[in-house]
Amino acid sequence: MILGIETSCDDTCAAVVTPDGVIRSNVISSQGIHDRYGGVVPEVAARHHLELIDAVTADALDRAGVSLDEITLVGATCGPGLIGALLVGLASAKAIAAAGELPFAAVDHLHGHVGAAFLDPDQLDPPFVSLIASGGHTLLLRVTSRDGEPEVLARTLDDAAGEAFDKGARMLGLGYPGGAALERLARDGDPEAFAFPTGRTRDFSFAGLKTALLYKLRDLEADRGAADDQLRADLAASYQQAIVGALVGRTERVLAETGLTRLAVGGGVAANGQLRSAVRGLGVTVSVPPGPLCTDNAAMIASAARYVRSQPYPEYLGVEAYATGEGPLR
Amino acid sequence: MIALALDTATSSTVVGLQLPDETVREARDDVEPGQRPRHTSRLLPLAAGLLDAAGLRWHDLELIAVGLGPGTFTGLRIGIATARGLAAATGAPLVGVGTLRALAAAAAGGGRPVLGVIDARRGEVFVGGYDDGRELIGPVAVAPAGVADLVAGRDWLAVGDGALRFRAVLEGGGMIVAPERSPLHQVGSAAILRLAVAGDVDARGPVLPTYVRLPDAELAVRSGQP
Ligand SMILES: [Zn+2]
Repeated sequence: MILGIETSCDDTCAAVVTPDGVIRSNVISSQGIHDRYGGVVPEVAARHHLELIDAVTADALDRAGVSLDEITLVGATCGPGLIGALLVGLASAKAIAAAGELPFAAVDHLHGHVGAAFLDPDQLDPPFVSLIASGGHTLLLRVTSRDGEPEVLARTLDDAAGEAFDKGARMLGLGYPGGAALERLARDGDPEAFAFPTGRTRDFSFAGLKTALLYKLRDLEADRGAADDQLRADLAASYQQAIVGALVGRTERVLAETGLTRLAVGGGVAANGQLRSAVRGLGVTVSVPPGPLCTDNAAMIASAARYVRSQPYPEYLGVEAYATGEGPLR
Repeated sequence: MIALALDTATSSTVVGLQLPDETVREARDDVEPGQRPRHTSRLLPLAAGLLDAAGLRWHDLELIAVGLGPGTFTGLRIGIATARGLAAATGAPLVGVGTLRALAAAAAGGGRPVLGVIDARRGEVFVGGYDDGRELIGPVAVAPAGVADLVAGRDWLAVGDGALRFRAVLEGGGMIVAPERSPLHQVGSAAILRLAVAGDVDARGPVLPTYVRLPDAELAVRSGQP
């Protein structure tokens, strides 16, 4: 039985997964306290992780119906992410593993998102293309085996896709985090009403899109004082279409280039309905795990822990965390 | 009683193991001033090394004590998350001892009240004042020049990395600062273990750091800044 712990951003997560990929528990405690700051504050996130981590881990064991004695491997996210946040989960996980003289797997967060595809009930076998899109990352990977290093085929040059959603939502007055609110607003809008750039480069870039929205809002305000509800819905729909188009267009190109016929989608943006239906239209086998496995969670970390090189006690006691922008997949 | 103490409030990584015969073995990692602490990479290896040398296992621990700070936020979280993880996995009870209380306890006995002073950066120090185990001051964060106002009227002995760094200011304010090379300036595990075993602790169970300061973002929100 594998215990996974994940604290790379603002969700405190612990999960128990069986060696063959059955989720026994997957506890996610979303802090929900960062709205008042307009974004995730690293120090605030780290403080909350420390308050929550023991209870979340105990809850994960409880729901799985296992005791620590039945855990054979502990895995924790060691990066990339907010360093102060990561260190809480990593310190806790190393201590739990040490006390039982268990092996430990230091899991890269992005390997974790890939590992979500290796969980029941819908395990996807490599080779496949993995699209990971969230508030922190936007990547296209070629995954050739469960235990091999994925190859980065495209990455974002500036903002992450989820960040583009959140920033757009804020400009449209939808608060933070506003990705879901933007999607709701877009339902009543015309996605063809405004033209937004989706870019032609191999890599992703969302900074220009955000600026384009800012200018369109300014122009509209200059013209009519303020954008009315229909215009805002049209803007949201067009903006969302541009983000989804950028993701799906590049995914399609990469599928064609690699000749692969399977696609795994993960990350918080995979919750977006338009993206889900767009990837289903690509004519390949698509695996989009349920919501709690797309957003950050510890079941995916426990899953990936099965395939990364774990270290026996006491070799891992000094393992360190690494920040955003570091690690094997950048 | 077999007890383990951890402290990561300062740039030092400090571990102490009390053996059944009540003797204490300490292992520590002190970094040069200005160097990054090595809490993450050193804390558990030092503790495992002490246990190993004593022929003990983690499950032999009968008490775990951790320094609560104040001190470096990240350091405190590493120490406390580690201590809580060990306690949860071994079943050993967990207690928290204020790091300033431990600093002062190690320097007590000279007939003077003792002020623990930890460098808080940003031009401030964390201060706690103790006399015979009683907490008379703090813990608070103040500018070094403001410490004199807190201690007025008595002959305080000041110890800790903050006392060393701001020696001139504190001495100008009437305090006695322990000599440059005195071990009293470093957080020691023996004092933490002594206080923990005696039950003279600041918290029990799921302990949390004594941050003293709010996060900057919270201060900004409260003061109405964007
Ligand atoms: Zn993620």
